[in-house]
Amino acid sequence: MLDQLGNGLLLGIIISVASVALSLLYGVTRIVNFAHGEIIALGAIATLFFSSPLDYRVLFLEKFSPLGLNFVISCFLAILVCGLFGGLLEVFLFRPLRKNDVGNIAVLVVTIGLSILVRHLYLLFATGKVQNFPLELQRRQTYLFFDMTPRNFNVLIAGIIVMIIVGLLLTYTRLGKAMRAVRDSEELSSVSGINSDNIILLTWVASSMLAGLAGIFQATINDVRWNMGFLILLLIFAGTVLGGIGTSFGAMVGGFMIGILVQVSVGLPFMEGHAEAKNAVALGIMILILLFRPQGIFGQKERIS
Amino acid sequence: MITKRFSLQYIFAFSLTIFSIYLVFFLNPEGAPRIVLNLFTFAGIYGLSAIGLNVHFGWTGLLNFGHASFMGVGAYVTLLLMPHAAGREGVVITTGLPFFAALTIGIIAASLFGLLLGLPAIRLRGDYLAIVTIAAAEIFRLLVRDLESITGGVYGIINYTENFQRYRPSFIDDLSDNLDFSASQGWVCIAAWISILFIVLFLKRLNNSPWGRALRAVREDEDAVRAMGKNAVWLKLQSFMLGAGIAGLSGVLLAFNYGSLESTVFIPLLTFYVWAIMILGGVGTITGPIFGSIIFWVIISETDRLAYILFENANGQQLAGVRFLLVGVLIMFLMIFRPNGLLGKKEELLLDVK
Repeated sequence: MLDQLGNGLLLGIIISVASVALSLLYGVTRIVNFAHGEIIALGAIATLFFSSPLDYRVLFLEKFSPLGLNFVISCFLAILVCGLFGGLLEVFLFRPLRKNDVGNIAVLVVTIGLSILVRHLYLLFATGKVQNFPLELQRRQTYLFFDMTPRNFNVLIAGIIVMIIVGLLLTYTRLGKAMRAVRDSEELSSVSGINSDNIILLTWVASSMLAGLAGIFQATINDVRWNMGFLILLLIFAGTVLGGIGTSFGAMVGGFMIGILVQVSVGLPFMEGHAEAKNAVALGIMILILLFRPQGIFGQKERIS
Repeated sequence: MITKRFSLQYIFAFSLTIFSIYLVFFLNPEGAPRIVLNLFTFAGIYGLSAIGLNVHFGWTGLLNFGHASFMGVGAYVTLLLMPHAAGREGVVITTGLPFFAALTIGIIAASLFGLLLGLPAIRLRGDYLAIVTIAAAEIFRLLVRDLESITGGVYGIINYTENFQRYRPSFIDDLSDNLDFSASQGWVCIAAWISILFIVLFLKRLNNSPWGRALRAVREDEDAVRAMGKNAVWLKLQSFMLGAGIAGLSGVLLAFNYGSLESTVFIPLLTFYVWAIMILGGVGTITGPIFGSIIFWVIISETDRLAYILFENANGQQLAGVRFLLVGVLIMFLMIFRPNGLLGKKEELLLDVK
């Protein structure tokens, strides 16, 4: 069971970062974003596009050539691309919907349509092949009591640092306070001189950048696939719900717990030979949480029925 | 005035459907009967499923994104109760119930699964219910894939179509020889459209009954229903069971149309297809999904041609992707610009979380 703990932590950091992003967006805009997974995949695919060698021809249909940039620079560029994508979505899609008073459920269905559209654009332009970042292979090492490669260990540390920074930003900066104010009441925050449109735009950008980072983590640890975001989306929902929807701190912890639970459940006695069903465990937990403690572990009690 | 507007909507929907069928004949000078039959079979099956979904979302306002699992439960229970072969080795099971008994149990099983999934609906608000249902559908799919000894897992179930095809009337065989289409698919197509006919008549009756009015009242204002002494929770559960049963029937038909069944059929995209059909046809209507389904499948089946032109060096998986891409665009645009679809009434739409 313990040998799975390292994998659990790695899956946990991916889900955790992505859950914070989803939770932030839900908190401020009340949008359940089914297209979140596609922004995650964008982070990975953009990094692959920027960093692959120039002669690498698997990724994109013949008209597009990868750029062959330095890997770290590629990651930063990819995160910027994700932020830009999120911002464009808000300006050209979700802001007009909000101004026209389109209901939450309609917006939810729109995000599903968006998710299907964007995912299959990836399939068309990034092909259905499973691909890897242009990084050399590494050997696993033992850290404390779990095994992982040095690169994955760095990913874990980087993820934790990013989440601490996000937590601090949300708690102490003017922007973070404004975001929380808009989350609590858009009207009241407008009255107190907060430009809620700008805050929501910034939330979209921040959430998308975090999602892109989660995608880079996922691709570094595992691989790049056109549907990688959708495969992990329900686990992200589970992490968000477990921690309490709309609470950033809860989403961090919830994401980690889901990641560890999914991987550790492979080692349970009744799961022997059923490793494929490990995601079902996490989803089952999410349903139980929603039924019996819908505010999650850290959420405030709120009427959701 | 109002009735006039709606009859205009019907005329428009009807002409659009006729036009899209004509388009198929126009674009496929050769082999048209086979293509149209294939199209109508899928349209019938998915339309039936969309009618079931409309009971959930259109009538009762339940945001169900796990519709594929209802179809899956119906299909798997029915097939496993009949003689079939399953798994990697294709273990043959010769004992089993006759088709109609198995079908009845399958539909009841789908309804009971609907009841089970409906239990969260009592407690959860719309968007949370969406997450729960899609998660439950994924759990179902993962379990089906995992329980290989029973369901055949990724290797699937085969050799079951004869249970249904033995009831095929002989005139279909004569017709299929003349027009060059598959007789077994013709029978599935006829069965699907007969089912649609009966279900639509049944729902029309229900819709005008006190029960149907109470159901729509639940969508509009649950508290008012409670105040009138109706049990809103039980009404929601009944709606879940009814819609799930219809979906179960369509799942069985889908299985017979494919000829072999494995778990990947019931991926979330199946649910989204059905959603697209329901929105296109008109949320809250009874006959809307039928028109929606035909038009939807015309679009889908003629996309491949477009895809070939646009992306000449794409492979098969990518060409199939173009269809899905179009489904996504369709869902988005309909929801933004015409959420009531072809036949729906805007006043009857539930698009906000209460």
